[in-house]
Amino acid sequence: MTNPRVLALALAAALTLGLAAGAHGESTASRADPGVTATSVLIGGTTPLSGEASSGSLTARGAEAYFKHVNARGGVHRRKITYRYLDDGYEPARTVQAIRQLVQQDGVFAIFNSLGTAHNLAVRPYLNQVGVPHLFVASGATTWGKEFRRYPWTIGFIPTYTAEGIIYGRYIRKTSPRARIAVLFQDDEYGKDLVAGLKRGLGSAGARQIAAQQGYDPASTDIQSEIARLKASRATVLMVFAFGKFAIQAFTYVDRLGWKPKIFVNAVAASASVLTIASQQGKNKRVEGAISIAFFKDPADPSFAKDAGYKLYRSIMKRYLPSANVKDGYYLAGMASAHAFVQTLQKAGRNLTRKAVQTAAARLDDRKNPFVLPGVRVKTSSSDHYPLEQAQLERWRKGRWVRFGGLVSAPRA
Amino acid sequence: MSTGALGQTARIGLFAAAALLIAVLPRFVSDFRASELAYVAIFTIAILGLNVLTGYTGQISLGHGAFMTIGGYTTAVLVVDHGVRDLWTIPLAGLVAGAAGFLFGVPALRLSGLYLALATFGVAVALPAVVRKAEGLTGGSRGLQLFGLDSYTGKGFEPVEVLGRSLSFNDWLYYLSWTIAGVLFVLAWLVLRGETGRAFRALRDSEVAAASSGVNPAAYKTLAFSLSALYAGVAGSLYALASTFVTPGTFPVTLSLTLLIGAVVAGLGSLWGVLAGAVFVQFLPVWIDRLSGVEAAPDWVQRVSKEPGIPSVIYGAALIFLLLLLPGGVGGLVQRLGGLTRGR
Repeated sequence: MTNPRVLALALAAALTLGLAAGAHGESTASRADPGVTATSVLIGGTTPLSGEASSGSLTARGAEAYFKHVNARGGVHRRKITYRYLDDGYEPARTVQAIRQLVQQDGVFAIFNSLGTAHNLAVRPYLNQVGVPHLFVASGATTWGKEFRRYPWTIGFIPTYTAEGIIYGRYIRKTSPRARIAVLFQDDEYGKDLVAGLKRGLGSAGARQIAAQQGYDPASTDIQSEIARLKASRATVLMVFAFGKFAIQAFTYVDRLGWKPKIFVNAVAASASVLTIASQQGKNKRVEGAISIAFFKDPADPSFAKDAGYKLYRSIMKRYLPSANVKDGYYLAGMASAHAFVQTLQKAGRNLTRKAVQTAAARLDDRKNPFVLPGVRVKTSSSDHYPLEQAQLERWRKGRWVRFGGLVSAPRA
Repeated sequence: MSTGALGQTARIGLFAAAALLIAVLPRFVSDFRASELAYVAIFTIAILGLNVLTGYTGQISLGHGAFMTIGGYTTAVLVVDHGVRDLWTIPLAGLVAGAAGFLFGVPALRLSGLYLALATFGVAVALPAVVRKAEGLTGGSRGLQLFGLDSYTGKGFEPVEVLGRSLSFNDWLYYLSWTIAGVLFVLAWLVLRGETGRAFRALRDSEVAAASSGVNPAAYKTLAFSLSALYAGVAGSLYALASTFVTPGTFPVTLSLTLLIGAVVAGLGSLWGVLAGAVFVQFLPVWIDRLSGVEAAPDWVQRVSKEPGIPSVIYGAALIFLLLLLPGGVGGLVQRLGGLTRGR
């Protein structure tokens, strides 16, 4: 004999009790910003340690190694940097939870190097409302720089995907104005930014060169049919605006279908390791001659062997990540970003506040970042929230990237 | 099939104790922890629904994340594009998802066992692409941002007034989710203990025998599907509110698997185990992530746990280990320990 009403009553009573007891004795406001002491500063971020994009988490490890290196030499204004990065499995909903933990529970001073476009979009309004510096977002979406007036606490780092698309478009317009172009792109903000940039770079007349475009769903597993449809357009140039495994698949299927276009591959997929896998020990001839852009030094490029920045990178890797593959560009990319963060802290001064860091991040002018290509400046101003805006074209030759032409820059989107 | 009066009273006592514990818990944990526990409530709701379908009716769904997606997007679209107050969208999300469950349940009648599992999985795989394409409605890959809107309770995580008391945003989320979870728990219990529950179980054990004793398989199977999807829709709605931002990636395909894992850890056909299943799926990834921060852990643990992909390996290993240890899930353990749950 159960009376549902008894249950309902118990439930109601319990909840009322709970509500009555609910309020915490919290909100102890203090003068210093969270995460800062005289000798330390705690920063945090999210990265996909699990899930499809987990290789991207290597940037966090590279950054962490660089902070350890800086700490060993006394830190910044005597403060040692602790970088706590949490796994979000590349799911925006988990990014939100992790960022709330970092801000509300762990009391981090700033969020740094969090990876992913949707993932950072998910937390941007929150971080801007609380006033937490949201620095050097690991995504090339245009929105970080474009909407900085609305979200002044957020700033990106790498050249935008739009800028990258523009660079390819201009290069094609200059070198092969009659080419028929096929575009494979990831059907989200990232892929669409690249396509929009490409069209701008080609110009109004050149945009007609695009014979076909195919978007693929980032949650799909295989893109063979997209490649087949693009091949049917009889294009002579293929743009691969795709991530990781999809880029590898694109090279593989192009070869298998006997198509011989000139291939451009976007920078986030153009690490030497991806191209090496795609080329299958040189068996896939379509990889040879592929074009991309670079803005960081490529640790797999022997021409940097005597470069001071590369040597610094090697010594940090040897000391703090001894078992890692030093040729993987992700670590170096993380260090480039960490270097910019350290510069920002330097500039923010001895009296470290969130406000000071936000201001400093928009006043960078660094020509000496050891990890970016020679001549590339890390520069921001109150009206320029795009730290990196220069890049160099590169071509895949006999198992490695060879840069060509000078530095190019793209107008802001 | 009815249990003795003592069992019944014990169950109500247990429920009241659990409700009381849940009600006072935020006093003893940090504000942030309350938000984590709100997610436990959300997973509890979704896994409850899945359990009704899979555990009680024996229809395996590998696509319950899809119904959460439908619920989540119902809420997000109404709140963001139409300025509907978020609380009202929660029951609506349940109804929309329930209707979707019904529509899917009818053709699914022709499928059973693995075929049904695959069909549901197909829905889960296809839905994110549909959501991405239907840009006008869903915002596509740009997503929908709830944070800061007037129709979003708490707007920008501000304190919320409830019954004359001011609750921190995280506590608000906690009480909202757990209240709904409590109501839906009782509802599930009431449904499952009576005639409907008997019909569900009869269908699970033998469809032929059930039909010959006068149970209408088609009616009960679609009922289970609708009910289960309704639960998932409510959970999806709350998930959207808790996440403040909805994009196709908010409800990845793996979410469906996560829910099934939760249901298996809970013990199929066990209501109380659902709590344990929800705790498992919410906290295991968090705990794994925190391994590297444990000062006492040996150096290699800290190093290895930050290797890409390692959290997934540990997750898988923990799951296998748990199922070897508790083949019937946590519900099975409870059953073995004291017969607190109803026997089959």
